[in-house]
Amino acid sequence: MGNGIQAKRKFEKIIIHIILILMSVIMLVPFFWMILTAFKTVGEATSVNPFVIFPKTWNTDAFVTVWKNMSFVLLYKNTLLLIFWRVVCAVLTATMAGYAFGRLSFPGKNFFFSIILLQMMIPSQIFIIPQYLMISKMHLTNTVFALVFPGLVTAFGTFLLRQAFMGLPSDLEEAARLDGCNIFQTFLFVMAPLTKSAMVALGIFTALFGYKELMWPLIVNTNAGKMPLSAALATMQGQYGSNYPQLMAASLIACIPMIILYLIFQKQFIEGIATSGGKL
Amino acid sequence: MKKKLVALMMTVIMAGSMMACGSSNSGSAGSSANGASQTSSDVTGASSDTAAATGSDPLNVVIWDSNQKAGLQQICDEFTAKTGIAVNIEVKDWDSYWTLLEAGASGGDMPDVFWMHSNNAQMYMKNGILLKLDDYIKNSTEIKMENYMPEITELYTYDGSYYAIPKDYDTIALWYNKTMFDAAGLSYPDATWTWDDLYNAAVKLTKKDGSQYGFCMNPSNDQDTYYNMVYSMGGYIVSDDHTKSGYDDPNTLKAMDYVGKLVKDACPDPTTMSETGTDVMMESGNVAMIMQGSWMVSGFLQNDYMKKNCDVAILPYDKTTGKRASICNGLGWAAYSGTKRPDDCWKLLEWFGSKDMQLEQAKLGVTMSAYQNTSDQWVNCTDVFHLQPYLDETTASTGDAQNELVLRPYTYNSTVWSGAAQTKLAAAWADPSIMEQTCKDFATEMNQDIANENK
Amino acid sequence: MTSWEKKQFFWGWLFILPTMLGLIILNIVPMFQTLYQSFFRTGDFGKGNVFIGLENYEKLIHDPEVWQSLFNTFKYAIVEVPLSIIIALVLAVFLNRKMRGRSIYRTIYFLPMVVAPAAVAMVWRWLYNSQFGLLNHMMHVKIEWISNPHIAWISIAIIGVWSAIGYNMVLFLAGLQEIPRDYYEAADIDGASGPRMFFNITIPLLSPTIFFVMVTSIIGAFQVFDLIYMVMDETNTALPKTQTIVYLFYRYSFAYNNKGYGSAIVMLLLCVIILITVFQMIGQKKWVHYN
Repeated sequence: MGNGIQAKRKFEKIIIHIILILMSVIMLVPFFWMILTAFKTVGEATSVNPFVIFPKTWNTDAFVTVWKNMSFVLLYKNTLLLIFWRVVCAVLTATMAGYAFGRLSFPGKNFFFSIILLQMMIPSQIFIIPQYLMISKMHLTNTVFALVFPGLVTAFGTFLLRQAFMGLPSDLEEAARLDGCNIFQTFLFVMAPLTKSAMVALGIFTALFGYKELMWPLIVNTNAGKMPLSAALATMQGQYGSNYPQLMAASLIACIPMIILYLIFQKQFIEGIATSGGKL
Repeated sequence: MKKKLVALMMTVIMAGSMMACGSSNSGSAGSSANGASQTSSDVTGASSDTAAATGSDPLNVVIWDSNQKAGLQQICDEFTAKTGIAVNIEVKDWDSYWTLLEAGASGGDMPDVFWMHSNNAQMYMKNGILLKLDDYIKNSTEIKMENYMPEITELYTYDGSYYAIPKDYDTIALWYNKTMFDAAGLSYPDATWTWDDLYNAAVKLTKKDGSQYGFCMNPSNDQDTYYNMVYSMGGYIVSDDHTKSGYDDPNTLKAMDYVGKLVKDACPDPTTMSETGTDVMMESGNVAMIMQGSWMVSGFLQNDYMKKNCDVAILPYDKTTGKRASICNGLGWAAYSGTKRPDDCWKLLEWFGSKDMQLEQAKLGVTMSAYQNTSDQWVNCTDVFHLQPYLDETTASTGDAQNELVLRPYTYNSTVWSGAAQTKLAAAWADPSIMEQTCKDFATEMNQDIANENK
Repeated sequence: MTSWEKKQFFWGWLFILPTMLGLIILNIVPMFQTLYQSFFRTGDFGKGNVFIGLENYEKLIHDPEVWQSLFNTFKYAIVEVPLSIIIALVLAVFLNRKMRGRSIYRTIYFLPMVVAPAAVAMVWRWLYNSQFGLLNHMMHVKIEWISNPHIAWISIAIIGVWSAIGYNMVLFLAGLQEIPRDYYEAADIDGASGPRMFFNITIPLLSPTIFFVMVTSIIGAFQVFDLIYMVMDETNTALPKTQTIVYLFYRYSFAYNNKGYGSAIVMLLLCVIILITVFQMIGQKKWVHYN
């Protein structure tokens, strides 16, 4: 009897592992194919009879060509700057506003907070044309500022940080006040440090989605030297057409730094994303 | 440990951003220095020495054809060697090219020098986006507008003023796969071919098992494929005064019916064609014939399969009209009216337009040049393909047929309707039985688009 | 007002000032500008716009392309949202236990999240290619995954599912950690089977998270652009049956430079999203359990 249950448990475990492994394979196939294609010649990639899975020789021409043709160093730099400034601005403004909404009471609070909620509901495309016209009137297209612009403040981040501040016990704040801290000091030295995990979460979230954004950079920074990676890759497809080894090589060069960062900091990544979403 | 890593990462990011700030500062310093030397050169009268001083920042040049980059780069390098003005050529694909120019023109941040196309040259000229060249041309010893093909010059003239230096011109010809013709026991296409001959050969060259097709064309192959058939059969795309769509003209419909037949009987599945361009299908030995513009030659010369198996013939003509029509077009080199260095831009335009460089462009096989009587150089740029058919179409007649060069149809802003045509016609490609209705419907839509232009 | 209240007033406003200022400049004002612009025909290069009243909206109502795109967007969402939620939920439940390789699986499933969408789209486009693609070769078929109008929208949605599974799974895993173990232990003693525990314990207790993921997924699905932009060419026969409303917005606003009509299209999107969100908010009372 007990043995039967044990055997059943074991069987279940094996089935689950099989499903998980199968799923892993599905998730990984595109990556393998990207790598394999990048090392092929165009001839091998477009050969049907016989179909080539592994390149005969691991040929790095595609990497050399795209590295020469696209200034990846510049693209990395633009992407890094985009991420850096967006994270700094988002965390800074959202932490302050989140504290005010979460812990202070002041006239107009509900009104302002409803604006925050409203913005979260509205599709961002609605802002894009006027935002673009603003940047273009200021003659700031093709600058890092243009890339950062829509992410200077964040309604979502404010909401996230408000939730984090609301979850903190109030006796800490009172103790700080009795010690003679003013509101700003209480915020900076007592409360803000306690929401560090929410800040990290917001940072990771902002960085990831800044890196993945496509439409906005395509519109404001059309100059190849001023694009972030995502947009540069997208425009590359139009230029190189069907040279898939080169397209795949460029994709790999563009994505590997982020993948490595993710593999090193995967715990922070995953926990950050987990904290940033969950409940309404 | 973890904290250290985070700290490390932050330092790297900070350092990166500092570097960027530094370089952007030096960039602006450089450009203001340019401004200064610019004024001085205005005072002293531009000499190539002062130009060398301004050359620290490269002129930004944007084009859309990656096949031409290598050749143009060479021409620009010679320019830099002579004047000291560095040039940076950037290639965009067709769609993003126009998005870039459009956005740049609205936002006041354009590349310095770029290609202009008949599609919407009118709109750019009317709105003062392009640098007016009249005075420069008057004072130039290199540039005489009479030297260029008048049709191309005409495209970039607005209210009697010149806005671009003609760069090139192009015609269309028929590419065929000799090996496939030999295997099928067919004779190669020549000047005696009518559209019916092309159809019959294409059907014969199409294998049932899907391993080989006689012909290949996409709705996007307008200038290089179906426009030519339309004009050869007596139809039109846009009326001569650029105000009316010709998609509902009976002769146009006749030509489009022919297109539908060809797509149905001798072309790969429309879905396949929409994934893979006709040039790639030809290069990978899947189709026996395609029609392509002279601008593709430099690309085909880099493909071993093409070099080994393919060659060029003149386009077929129509039996009823006795007319052979090739769409022809020419690009212009234009500069941005708001550029900080108009004189440097002009020097580059002048360089591109000079007889020597127009000859060199042809000799390098980049394209045929707009400078008159330079095309032989282009025909002789290679002995792998026989490029003479591209030129024959510019003569009055070949064999039994009258030759006609037709300027690529355009209106004030053709981008809108030519883009819509591709999407709409895709449905008729998939189901040729609705071709006639699709064209008629599209004519209405296109007339609407033309009426909405802000002329 | 006491001095304490005054202090809170001062600091509260000061703290929200940057965010509110930013939101007003970046979002609130632009929202009205977009509405305003939707009553204009855009002039060349954004100069000389002409007021045309409701003409853009009239055109919109009679434009089959717009309604087809809206329908395409719905179709995409109907495949992408449930599939990505169900698969992610099952995976999360499997992984919510002590087991060998747990973190490796988690790492793998999340991997697509850190790849640029352009790269994702390109590799899938290549996998799907009807001539040279791996997919057709492995299955010994000749399916036009991305150019057959009947199939392409599903193919696109599959890319969407593939990209979103990891993200949803991580959110579900976090939600699962909060369900006390004793619930399961009690049920186990009662002899409840795995699937029964899943439906009677996991789903109800996880419903707030599921609701969150659903709302955000639907909003995300209605704004899908990258995939269409990257995978579908303008001459693709399947484009009319796959292009989404945001893609259409992009094309009108930035490729055809008809920003007036583009604005009208995005106003339609706004209405649709608000409607759907309101319905979900009402619907949630029926099935979401907050403790």
